[in-house]
Amino acid sequence: MAFTLEAARLDWRTMDDVTGDDTRPDADAAIQPAADDRSHGSEHGDVRDVFESQAMPFMDQLYAAAMRMSRNPADAADLVQDTYAKAFAAFGSFKQGTNLKAWLYRILTNTYINAYRKRQRDPYQGSIDELEEWQVGSAESATSSSSRSAEAEAIDRMPAGAVKDALQSIPDDFRIAVYLADVEGFSYQEIAEMMKTPTGTVMSRLHRGRRMLRERLADYAAERGIGRTGSPK
Amino acid sequence: MTDCEKARAELEEYLHNELGAEDAAMVAQHLAECEDCRSEHRLGAALTEAVRRACRERAPEELRALVLTHIRSVEATQAV
Repeated sequence: MAFTLEAARLDWRTMDDVTGDDTRPDADAAIQPAADDRSHGSEHGDVRDVFESQAMPFMDQLYAAAMRMSRNPADAADLVQDTYAKAFAAFGSFKQGTNLKAWLYRILTNTYINAYRKRQRDPYQGSIDELEEWQVGSAESATSSSSRSAEAEAIDRMPAGAVKDALQSIPDDFRIAVYLADVEGFSYQEIAEMMKTPTGTVMSRLHRGRRMLRERLADYAAERGIGRTGSPK
Repeated sequence: MTDCEKARAELEEYLHNELGAEDAAMVAQHLAECEDCRSEHRLGAALTEAVRRACRERAPEELRALVLTHIRSVEATQAV
């Protein structure tokens, strides 16, 4: 099969008809290089142009996600480079007209989970979903609507650095789920596919991750006297 | 389960637009009537907004250049 975009588009449309509802390329399959199909220099250049114009605009977003996943600029840059290298090699299996952003995030998330986090120290690694409730924290810190309003106002005024620190401090899988849902707005189903986990696990990670985040921010606010009436200490 | 308990259980999904139209309408209706749950929802929304605001980044220019160089070099190698 000679690789041209037209041929690829036709294939995808045909695949759509055949496969019905599940039209997404599998992330593992997507990571298999499709480069051997590309034999002609000129077509090659076209594919590159399409890839550059479609995928490069996501770099800031992917870098921001990589920063929150790996928690340091050097690993984040490596992770983004690896992601683009894999995405370009697999671009032949990307179905034009489907969600390119989600496809790129699947590659990013997979690459991080499979390669990067192994070399990072994370005391929670491996058993995170089994954490007991008491280890995660109390269910709700604020009990009245007025104290909740004060808490919300404190969060509104929270400096970005404090929010990032709080995010860095929560376990990997929780942090990634929160990032993908709250920052990128991916659906639970999309996040489940990216993290290769059931949707129920995504919901539980989100719930616990957000709760931990909220507690860390409440602690920060209490330390600084933010959101409290009366004079700061 | 009371209305509040039901709404609280679904607030996070409501916030993330994960509920079906009917369930979402029920939560919205309850929020309109209940100050307590409304404040809980407002807190959840504040959390999402704070994270979104804090996580903006700009990729370093060198990274952009490295990625482009890589893509073009792969092409050059394979075209031979």
